[in-house]
Amino acid sequence: MAGNKGRGRAAYTFNIEAVGFSRGEKLPDVVLKPPPLFPDTDYKPVPLKTGEGEDYVLALKQELRETVKRMPYFVETHEEKQDIERYSKRYMKVYKEEWIPDWRRLPRELMPRKKCKKGPKSEKAKDTGKGTSLTNTADVLKKIEELEKRGDGEKSDEENEEKEGSKEKSKEGDDDEDDNAAEQEEYDEEEQEEENDYINSYFEDGDDFGADSDDNMDEATY
Amino acid sequence: MTQAEIKLCSLLLQEHFGEIVEKIGVHLIRTGSQPLRVIAHDTGTSLDQVKKALCVLIQHNLVIYQVHKRGVVEYEAQCSRVLRMLRYPRYIYTAKTLYSDTGELIVEELLLNGKMAMSAVVKKVADRLTETMEDGKTMDYAEVSNTFVRLADTHFVQRCPLVPATENSDPGPPPPAPTLVINEKDMYLVPKLSLIGKGKRRRSSDEDATGEPKAKRPKHTTDNKEPIPDDGIYWQANLDRFHQHFRDQGIVSAVANRMDQVISKWVGQWLSGIFTYLQMWPLAYSQSQHSRVNSEFQFIFQTQTSSEIVRTMLRMSEITTSSSAPFTQPLSSNEIFRSLPVGYNISKQVLDQYLTLLADDPLEFVGKSGDSGGGMYVINLHKALGSLATATLESVVQERFGSRCARIFRLVLQKKHLEQKQVEDFAMIPAKEAKDMLYKMLSENFISLQEIPKTPDHAPSRTFYLYTVNILSAARMLLHRCYKSVANLIERRQFETKENKRLLEKSQRVEAIIASMQATGAEEAQLQEIEEMITAPERQQLETLKRNVNKLDACEIQVDETIFLLESYIESTVKRQ
Repeated sequence: MAGNKGRGRAAYTFNIEAVGFSRGEKLPDVVLKPPPLFPDTDYKPVPLKTGEGEDYVLALKQELRETVKRMPYFVETHEEKQDIERYSKRYMKVYKEEWIPDWRRLPRELMPRKKCKKGPKSEKAKDTGKGTSLTNTADVLKKIEELEKRGDGEKSDEENEEKEGSKEKSKEGDDDEDDNAAEQEEYDEEEQEEENDYINSYFEDGDDFGADSDDNMDEATY
Repeated sequence: MTQAEIKLCSLLLQEHFGEIVEKIGVHLIRTGSQPLRVIAHDTGTSLDQVKKALCVLIQHNLVIYQVHKRGVVEYEAQCSRVLRMLRYPRYIYTAKTLYSDTGELIVEELLLNGKMAMSAVVKKVADRLTETMEDGKTMDYAEVSNTFVRLADTHFVQRCPLVPATENSDPGPPPPAPTLVINEKDMYLVPKLSLIGKGKRRRSSDEDATGEPKAKRPKHTTDNKEPIPDDGIYWQANLDRFHQHFRDQGIVSAVANRMDQVISKWVGQWLSGIFTYLQMWPLAYSQSQHSRVNSEFQFIFQTQTSSEIVRTMLRMSEITTSSSAPFTQPLSSNEIFRSLPVGYNISKQVLDQYLTLLADDPLEFVGKSGDSGGGMYVINLHKALGSLATATLESVVQERFGSRCARIFRLVLQKKHLEQKQVEDFAMIPAKEAKDMLYKMLSENFISLQEIPKTPDHAPSRTFYLYTVNILSAARMLLHRCYKSVANLIERRQFETKENKRLLEKSQRVEAIIASMQATGAEEAQLQEIEEMITAPERQQLETLKRNVNKLDACEIQVDETIFLLESYIESTVKRQ
């Protein structure tokens, strides 16, 4: 399809004048790089609108920005431990209201589950878990005895591990069943417990507990 | 969703709700509808955090859920609703202009909390208002309730869809997620509560009427704590109604700018001498004038008439016309005359003259649809939005490329399709410059080329190339740039704030110290000393920072106004079934 190209000379198939420039004219350079990031503009932008209304909306916007940070919907990211604990950090913590969604309007799967908790409720779960695990352990021991009779030590170890795995799974299954009757207070507890690892119910003795240093052991404690 | 929109959504979510919610929200916007576990897996966040984030997003109407077959619940984000978060200050300010401080606080609470029950809103707003009032005065719940009812009547707040009250009697397990329903008629129905109380203290029992079909049955206790009488009935701000209001405002101010300027110029030509003299007089109708001056002065005073007429027509159609209708219901001239604001004493003939003037205007904001009742007039909403969008485009071209480019742009807009040669001739601009300008606008996609081939083989030498302006695509392009601009503005503001974070914290601490010292009563010298903790150059830096942040914030607000116009126009062109 190449055909004659005008015997070695370039010839356009259309009237070149129509594009806007004639032959042999100096054209602007080919652009070889992307346009600059902050190009110079010939015309400066129009100044902003000013007025009472605009000022009020501006103030509203800035206030709103500060307010949303204090709302319970602002989910804080957990910061890693800083190398130096700042004293002021303890006293600059913003007190946030708790927010409990209306669970009737939300899918059930969004409710927090029991097994993720630490605290009194989890102890209850652990207790029930222990109960089932006890029975499971009994089964496991029986199985181990049976297998030892067959005389393959390694195999029984593997089977033991499998049994442990299935024990965990069955424990989780129990927890799931318990979860269907979840109540609202669980969510509260989890909220309050997220701050630290301590179980709230333990230390009820007040501030004096553990305040005595252990360094002065020569002094008698009364 | 375009990249620019996603970036802007990400910045807005981060500012309002923090990083975790932002991560989940952006993931949902990008990937569409997904179930819970897939979200947790793909984003790498723990299940607990995903659940919390979803609760927050659903509460604020940013994410909806749907139950699919086999009980899987999928969550979908609403990108356009996320972008509305930029406009919250404007909504609140509008409520303030219409319903004063009480209305402002009600709308603010509803926007900050997503959805709330009426009693909760009333209580909170009353408390906030009481705090700002003088000692001893308190805000009555009844007043706040009245404002709430008025907001509901004018559709500025609406009910959220409800959990179906009837307990399904099937013995199977409850569904994994409730299906929320709302009846059109009930959307603005306010439950009959008699909330008695004042700010800060809540007394007396609350009653509930029995006639509400979807209200939950409350327990009749006189206990102060629980339960609230309108349990389960939540309210949210009706953003569409606010948008309707903004649109009406835009149309009225456009008419004012166009018609009233014409008329005042007209009058000015008559009274060239007296015009400047009259400008010194206050707007109030002064009795001691010369009678001729009186009558002409009255005419000038009422040059706001055309916009007032349009405003009246729009107000009359507020509730009767849906927000997406192409034009309002026809209104007869007699009705308009009766509905003009009190104190506006123009005669019927003058009103008719104005209406004819408005209907004949080439902008076609007002159209005449019949002759009964003294003439039936409608407002062409879609045309009005189109004109506003076009005006925005023209103004952008003018500010970016200069007035000669703007002339070419308006020319092409008017003549629809023009060849290169014709542009040069009509615009009276030399060929080289005209070419340069056309190509500049072409490269920025304000103008496009239309090829019309003479022969089937589309040979370039035998094809017409016509320049044309496709308003819709230019509007979309401009909207995309606006989103990018706002994202850039927010990023820059955050950068500026982060740069000076240390200085900001220091100044906050100093202020706190000064405040506490003033409270405990300190001497002037001590306060001076504390203030000097911030050196003069630091003070300068703080001033600069404050000015820059204010400017960037103001920019965001004003770009958002353009975004609103363009979005309304684009929405009006989308065909509805």
